[in-house]
Amino acid sequence: MVEKQTTGHHVDRSICAWFWHQYNHHRNNDQMSVVTSPTHYLFPLIRHGIIFLACTQLELPPLLPIEFLSRFADILSDYLCAGSGAGATLNEDIVKDNFVIVYEVLDEMMDNGFPLTTEPNLLKDIVLPPNLVTKVLHAVTGNSSPSVGPTLPHAAASTVPWRSTHPKTTTNEVYVNLVEQLDASVNRDGNLRRCQVYGEIQVNSSLPGFPDLTLSFTNPSLLNDVRFHPCVRFRPWESSQVLSFVPPDGHFKLMTYRVKELKKIPIYVKPQLTSDSGNCRISALVGVRNDPGKTIDSIIVEFQLPPCITSADLTSNHGTVDILADKTCRWSIGQIPKDKLPSLSGNLVLEPGLDRLHVAPTFQVRFKIMGIAMSGLQIDKLDVKNMPANPYKGFRAQTQAGDYEFRS
Amino acid sequence: MAPPVSTPKSASPSQPSGKSEVTDLKLQLRQLAGSRAPGADDAKRDLFKRVISCMTVGIDVSPAFSEMVMCSATSDVVLKKMCYLYVGNYARCNPDLALLTINFLQKDCHDQDPTIRGLALRSLCSLRVQNLVEYLVAPLAAGLKDHSSYVRTVAAIGVLKLYHISATMCHDSDFPAALKALMLSDPDAQVVANCLYSLLEIWTQDAANSDEAAREIETLYGKSIIYYLLNRIKDFSEWAQCLVLDLVSKYIPSDNNEIFDMMNLLEDRLQHANGAVVLATIKVFLHLTMSMTDVHQQVYERIKAPLLTLVGAGSPEQSYAVLCHLHLLVMRAPMLFSSDYKHFYCQFSDPSYVKKLKLEMLTAIANESNTYEIVTELCEYAGNVDVPIARESIRAVGKIALQQYDVNAIVDRLLQFLEMEKDYVTAETLVLVKDLLRKYPQWSHDCIAVVGNISSNSIQEPKAKAALIWMLGEYSQDMMDAPYVLESLVENWEEEHSPEVRLHLLTAVMRCFFKRAPETQKALGAALAAGLADNNQDVHDRALFYYRLLQYDVAVAERVVNPPKQAVSVFADTQSSEIKDRIFDEFNSLSVVYQKPSYLFTDKEHRGPFEFSENLSNLAIGGDSGDDVIHSAQRYEENDKDLLLSTSDKEENGGPTHNGSSTYSAPSDVNSSRSLVSSSTTQPAAFAIDDLLGLGVLDTPVLPPPPALSLNAKPVLDPGTFQKKWGQLTVSSSQESTLSIQGVASLTAPQSLIKHMQNNSIQCIASGGQPPNYKFFFFAQKEGSSSFFLVECIVNTASAKAQIKIKADDASASDAFASLFQSALSNFGSS
Repeated sequence: MVEKQTTGHHVDRSICAWFWHQYNHHRNNDQMSVVTSPTHYLFPLIRHGIIFLACTQLELPPLLPIEFLSRFADILSDYLCAGSGAGATLNEDIVKDNFVIVYEVLDEMMDNGFPLTTEPNLLKDIVLPPNLVTKVLHAVTGNSSPSVGPTLPHAAASTVPWRSTHPKTTTNEVYVNLVEQLDASVNRDGNLRRCQVYGEIQVNSSLPGFPDLTLSFTNPSLLNDVRFHPCVRFRPWESSQVLSFVPPDGHFKLMTYRVKELKKIPIYVKPQLTSDSGNCRISALVGVRNDPGKTIDSIIVEFQLPPCITSADLTSNHGTVDILADKTCRWSIGQIPKDKLPSLSGNLVLEPGLDRLHVAPTFQVRFKIMGIAMSGLQIDKLDVKNMPANPYKGFRAQTQAGDYEFRS
Repeated sequence: MAPPVSTPKSASPSQPSGKSEVTDLKLQLRQLAGSRAPGADDAKRDLFKRVISCMTVGIDVSPAFSEMVMCSATSDVVLKKMCYLYVGNYARCNPDLALLTINFLQKDCHDQDPTIRGLALRSLCSLRVQNLVEYLVAPLAAGLKDHSSYVRTVAAIGVLKLYHISATMCHDSDFPAALKALMLSDPDAQVVANCLYSLLEIWTQDAANSDEAAREIETLYGKSIIYYLLNRIKDFSEWAQCLVLDLVSKYIPSDNNEIFDMMNLLEDRLQHANGAVVLATIKVFLHLTMSMTDVHQQVYERIKAPLLTLVGAGSPEQSYAVLCHLHLLVMRAPMLFSSDYKHFYCQFSDPSYVKKLKLEMLTAIANESNTYEIVTELCEYAGNVDVPIARESIRAVGKIALQQYDVNAIVDRLLQFLEMEKDYVTAETLVLVKDLLRKYPQWSHDCIAVVGNISSNSIQEPKAKAALIWMLGEYSQDMMDAPYVLESLVENWEEEHSPEVRLHLLTAVMRCFFKRAPETQKALGAALAAGLADNNQDVHDRALFYYRLLQYDVAVAERVVNPPKQAVSVFADTQSSEIKDRIFDEFNSLSVVYQKPSYLFTDKEHRGPFEFSENLSNLAIGGDSGDDVIHSAQRYEENDKDLLLSTSDKEENGGPTHNGSSTYSAPSDVNSSRSLVSSSTTQPAAFAIDDLLGLGVLDTPVLPPPPALSLNAKPVLDPGTFQKKWGQLTVSSSQESTLSIQGVASLTAPQSLIKHMQNNSIQCIASGGQPPNYKFFFFAQKEGSSSFFLVECIVNTASAKAQIKIKADDASASDAFASLFQSALSNFGSS
């Protein structure tokens, strides 16, 4: 438990115990995002099993602490996990091993309850992240270099606070990644009730100097609503729908957007349930509709067995079916084979006394399509100005299922 | 807003524990303290880390304080940071030892490296030890003039910390003025933001005691500063932008051009990646256009898309907070969102509190064009695995039915629910069908045919059972076997645990008796006998009442129990529009999430408890008033809680039943006059009784308004009744008036105004607040009449303005009362 008292008003630690009790108590139910305790209002934020908690007694914009906490969580995992290999996520042990870093970062990020420096690039100049270099240095010389930067960054005074004045990388490349999340719900008659796409443009830039980038789309009119990273200039977007920006160093989210009212979905599930005299026959078919032209990967169909079911016997002609501890049935399909349609069938036994199944489970589908953005958004070109040499530019696109559900 | 990171508590082996650990650390630290050996710094670093981790897991390592300070003379930055952290944590409990740290902290404040200067200054200000403040002033003053912007940002916040330790010291050193100068001139946006933050907090707290501070606050909201900040808004960090936008939302522009300029300037903020900025901008927009209806509507159109994106794109925590705001907007202007209904469809993976909000929104935006789609969607939820949500969605269908004109399709749907044969679906649907029939009696034929097939044995829930029994009684002429069903229910009287059901049963049997006497007579006798023997006081009383009524005159009894009914046109709203308006004013705050105005949940802790004057009847007897008020103005915590409870109750019940009358205002009795009953509780008992009987003699004899309004000198009203009335009545008059200068001067404490108003026959029931804002609840009674006037009066001594809201039983006299109240208020201080 790391705590930071920000104002003169002392918050007792017991509040955490109280919250912990509540949290365990409600674990199975839903957790509210603002919790009222007898003395404070708490904002919990749960990431990778670690709970970040903010307390207040005053009225304040609720998004302020929530946004701050999520920013803090992002930065912390950026700090602590970058050194320990790709794919590592924040966990209890990492935090425990790095108490000091956590305090140092928190100290810079917030003073007296008011957020201070939250740009990762700036922070890294003030508090050096624990990385491989310092570890090696420590092992070799036996004298660890201070984890504090020798000088202060002066980007704080510059016009682009998100970019430090001395970027360390000179690999001279920039990657643009389009990641889309497809939400769809289909009702029991097979009609598409709604379908929309949330997308993100992630950029990983390692360009020297002070590059000026312009990203344009072939079909920007598609976008329904957009939100930008602070580095994006607003005027060019308004006048000609291009993104003009000076990128921060490293990974960042350039833009998030929403496209609504899509008419096509790539995958369908046809569930069928018939029940009578204590038994319920279940069958489900999965198939491709409106072939996106790329392979659909890691397809998983999940549904929750209703509590009134005592036992289930399910088989499929492709992939594996597991019933997890919380009565979730997971059917991992992977890719759809060319020659047949994957289907699941089986029998559910209802509780004694129940004749028919009254509740209808919802089938949730997860999948991934590489190389295509389902919304149809396409990047036209990326211009880089203000650069001595032409950098390498990489583009990727990917669609994955968000809330993609079929009701039965 | 301390964000401590709490990790699951598990006893990991690496976790140090116990006292011996601390003494051990102490020993090692002492050994290292003087050492200048080459490896000493590393050894110290390890030790410090252990101390810090002990501190973090909650072991008290303060005994090692002096050793830590001894070790702190170092040039290593990491060591310094850890030491600052330790000192900051324990200085408060070791004020004497903290003095030891001052020396090296002060030295560090003159270090060459700005990082160290800043860190030292921050730690120095965070010590929070009263007797050390004198050492703070010089480093702070130097820090504010430092050439490094980093040190200046730290110093700006440091001033605020100093203020919290010792306000006088802060003022004596003239720091606020220095901050203001810095704010208006500094090239670094973060410094400006921190100055603004500190100044706002300092002056807001000061405004209570000094006019100067109040004036300074006014200048912060003034045109020049707002413009200065707005022009730099893009330089600020996102958090500072939130602060500035919050300030801007309190600024009142002088003309429309100004409004449009500001909106144009801020429009791109709506596309900021940070949700907090987006919401703050929306608040500014809404406030700016409050007076321009058409532009206000356009603003709604403009903010719709960003809000919907925020809901979908963020983490679950973020999207809930945004959804609450969206909920508020949807409730205010459902028409504008009617085409976006698909966004409010529930996802399977949504947590149930989100689903609940979405259902409410779907209910609100349903209109002629989208009802079919929405109801179809809602019906799918009825089969949801999540039972509470299935119930909620059935209720939502019912609510839509009640607010629509074309209910044909919906009634069919509801009746289909009854055929699903799921007990909770049937239960919810029955309650809805009952409400529906009260509004649309013309559907009775269709409904009754289906309801008649439901076996009363299969229904367990009291509410549903009561609804079914009500329908049996009400439509007994159309249901063949109604008397026999009722009879079998009466036979099982003993097994019926809910008094509500028994009450309904009594009434239903009575009704049935008047329609089909021969078949019901036996059941009625049994019911009355069982009712008279019932343990429940209400059931007993009602049985006795019916019995005597029948004894007295059967015809009268029929008129009482079975009066001709008119359809209910509007069901009472659950939340008064006043509260809704207030929440709207507090957009982008917790109020929205809690769906309560902030004074209901922050007042008790921060603005001082509401003081309820001791029961006013005592006062009236006690004669002379002033001193008594002060003595008896005790904290009425319970009442305060009641205030909280009453609103939340209202929200939950979703119906207009009041505690006092709930037993009698069961739908069977007051069907015809339900909406009237709510006001009847405000009438004296005699009228209330008439009303409860449903005789329709509701019209309180309204006295013709006397030429000049005279007030009862000693009215009596207890706080509970006051609250109830306040909740029921609508604002009949709302005004703003100005206090005289003498008035403001003499309003140092609420009691002075209370006494003054009492001399004018206006009694205070509750008061609270801290300067400059006071809040009073007054009441008065018309001489020779039962009608009360209730007043909420918010006085701001800084601006010498008073906001008055008047609610009156007798709205016709409220204008006369308003002028009387105003003149009394403006006389305040001059007498």
